[in-house]
Amino acid sequence: MSEAPLFPFKRTRRFDPPDEYGRARAERPVFPVTLWNGQRAWLLTRHDHFRTVLMDPRFSGEFARPDFPAVTQARVAIDKGERAFVGMDNPRHGHYRRMLTKEFTAKRMMALRPKVEAIAAGLLDVMEKKGPPVDLIEALAVELPALVMCELFGSPYEDHTFIMSCAAGRHGLKQSPEEAHRTARALVDYCRRLIEVKEKAPADDMLSRVIEEHVLPGTLSREDLAEICSMILRAGHDTTTNMIGLGTMLLLQHPDQLAELKRDDGLIDNAVEELLRFLAPVQFAPRRVALEDVEIAGSLIRKGEGVFAISPSANRDEAVFAKPDAVDLHRDASQHLTFGYGIHHCLGQGLARIELQVVFAMLFQRFPNLRLAVPAQEIPFKNDMQIYGIYRLPVVW
Amino acid sequence: MKFRIRIDESLCIGAGRCVVQAPELFDQREEDGIVILLQETPDGALYDRAIRAAAQCPARVIEIESGDKPAG
Ligand code: HEM
Ligand code: SF4
Repeated sequence: MSEAPLFPFKRTRRFDPPDEYGRARAERPVFPVTLWNGQRAWLLTRHDHFRTVLMDPRFSGEFARPDFPAVTQARVAIDKGERAFVGMDNPRHGHYRRMLTKEFTAKRMMALRPKVEAIAAGLLDVMEKKGPPVDLIEALAVELPALVMCELFGSPYEDHTFIMSCAAGRHGLKQSPEEAHRTARALVDYCRRLIEVKEKAPADDMLSRVIEEHVLPGTLSREDLAEICSMILRAGHDTTTNMIGLGTMLLLQHPDQLAELKRDDGLIDNAVEELLRFLAPVQFAPRRVALEDVEIAGSLIRKGEGVFAISPSANRDEAVFAKPDAVDLHRDASQHLTFGYGIHHCLGQGLARIELQVVFAMLFQRFPNLRLAVPAQEIPFKNDMQIYGIYRLPVVW
Repeated sequence: MKFRIRIDESLCIGAGRCVVQAPELFDQREEDGIVILLQETPDGALYDRAIRAAAQCPARVIEIESGDKPAG
């Protein structure tokens, strides 16, 4: 490899991250790369460095900083327009995030499970009625997280198509900065209107509760809440959609393991952790920028240089996972870093886990003979997106 | 045989992984999701679960004192 090759790299196999990561883990785990604008950045390819750096206050997660690293110019536009806590350091980050955490506790998420099951059942009914072949991405993977978001926000059913369209318009590696900006603003406008509606007619949902507890007493402005809502909608939709698509295809490609999953209901939670480990759809985040010179594993990261914590690589770290390139639904994969680490660790991980547990269990119960409708090579993967996934997955049963 | 659990509440981000792993040992505050330690010196039978909870905490909040790991 050249001294600091252009990042991102290309995949050579569809279900494995680029080969460069494996070489970097062995030879130079904190790996230098060059970004689209010529800026130097570093990849954290090993599990241990991923965790130590994301807990290290010498690195900042402030998106607004001019030196904050990004994989595309459009991403810079999104970063600079980000007003919610995903792009803030502590103490501001914690100040805002804490207003939301009670809505995402383990108990709250468990209470949502029956609703997620009802949504999944409804979508599977529609699939069944329509009959094969069906594009699983359109019929299930995109719909389910959008409908779950509507449930969380208490927004009307009709809104889920809008939520889906905004999520779909994001994250392209070839997207223009203007386009990125436009979709981001449209979503914030939507959230602003939804807050108005909820303020007038509160109901039993997350948004109404946050308005009552923080907006009305004056500790959170409507504008800030709209930005937070928009961030949650953006963070929680596309990621989950892609896990559903990739996970279904991966299971179909491993019929022996799928058979075990169908035989043993108790395996689903463990299986979902392994799918999360193996598939790690968030390819180019979390990111940080060094606030001072820091040396890690023989690499000197200079003040102002960016860092990418690479979960697709850390999740294949031989030091943590035996035979990391094999899919094994029985292994303990719970140490995976697919949801990040440290203060920005995914706020919605509990909900995402429930969505995935529900959807894979119910999908293969309803359609035990589910299979691809076209040869596997014809399935189009998202090689031009920041969040990895599948565009279309035609299935029959 | 007992062992000891310590938590650093100030680091907690309310992810609730600990509660999923070991509901006997951890809960989350109703008002902000911050961890509540239910037993400071639990029974050794819960040791493995406690270790799992600590390992899965994404913010290194939970420390298990393994010095007095129960034999067997
Ligand atoms: C399988 C699906 C998901 C994956 C793989 C995923 C992954 C991630 C990752 C890697 C981060 C850290 C980003 C960073 O450090 O820059 C993150 C943050 C976040 N995620 Fe998720 N996520 C998923 C689903 C969800 C869902 C369903 C929601 C909401 C309902 C959500 C809401 C958030 C929020 C709000 C943050 C920012 C947290 C903070 O900065 O404190 N995510 N997610
Ligand atoms: S897993 Fe860690 S961060 Fe999450 S609630 Fe428990 S102690 Fe807090």
